[in-house]
Amino acid sequence: MSEARIEAYARALADIATAEGTLDAVEKELYVVARAVESNESLRATLSDESIPAVRRQAVVEALVGSASNTTAQLVGLVIGSGRGRDLAAIIDKVVKRASNAQNREVAEVRSAVALSADQQSRLAAALERATGKSVNLKVVVDPSVLGGLIATVGDEVIDGSVRTRLDQVKSRL
Amino acid sequence: MRFLHLLAAEDPSQTHHWLLPETAEIIYGGIAALIIFAALYKFALPAATKALAARTERIQKELDNAANTRSAAEAEASNIRKAVGDIASERVRLLAEADQQAATVLSEGRARITAEVADLEAKAEADIAASRSRSSDELRAQIGQIASVAAQNAVSAALNDGTKQELIESFISSVGGAR
Repeated sequence: MSEARIEAYARALADIATAEGTLDAVEKELYVVARAVESNESLRATLSDESIPAVRRQAVVEALVGSASNTTAQLVGLVIGSGRGRDLAAIIDKVVKRASNAQNREVAEVRSAVALSADQQSRLAAALERATGKSVNLKVVVDPSVLGGLIATVGDEVIDGSVRTRLDQVKSRL
Repeated sequence: MRFLHLLAAEDPSQTHHWLLPETAEIIYGGIAALIIFAALYKFALPAATKALAARTERIQKELDNAANTRSAAEAEASNIRKAVGDIASERVRLLAEADQQAATVLSEGRARITAEVADLEAKAEADIAASRSRSSDELRAQIGQIASVAAQNAVSAALNDGTKQELIESFISSVGGAR
């Protein structure tokens, strides 16, 4: 799908969530859904497969969002039902970015091998705000391939303190 | 014998001379002889002269033909001698040229073979060096691969929950203190 179409879908979803007054909660839930779709190849293939009836894909979406809000489930269902399952993650990332920009914040995606506690997330967000000089909307993604440490991406800036990257550097030198 | 009998039968008393004929006989005989000579001169001499001239002309013609034939034969002989000379000189020239070409071909062949041998030697040396380098690189890559796997295994084994938390705290501290 073209960038303009992704942007249009993202704008529509953000406008609906804003109209419902649940943008902040919805973008958090959507972000979790996007990472789940992104990390699961078979889930992504199922949601993108046009040969699977829309009703079945909607059922998959409902199972995926689980306890998420009704708005989140409907927005994801809207994208899947429109046959844009392949671009769900990209559309959601745009929604999150729009929501963050609406609050004058930058999305800070942090990849970690283990889940971060609320305290760690709070201190990490503060540290990233000090380091970048921007107010950040922290999004933590649990990614076992990181092995240890963290990888933080704020806008175009990447702060890489992961064991994976250091191991790759060692491999390269070897 | 008959003539002697006639002489013996002559009568010496006769007035007719035993040797000279009668005067009239001399006159008639002389006239007859003149007539015969005139006739011969008139008729036989031109024919004889003509025949002689024709014979002379034929002989001269034959002589001329013979001279021409001889001249042509001499010219032909000269040409043949010249051709033989040309053939001999051409043979010498061709032999010299062949010798020169053979020498050139031999020289060029030696130079080419020398160059090819040098190229082959250089290529062989390069191949040996490349093979050595490749083997060395492959060995190094294998060692690197084994070492990286070993390092990953060692790191993975060392990364318990406590270590992971320490790394996270270290990251937060370093990012927070970066500015």
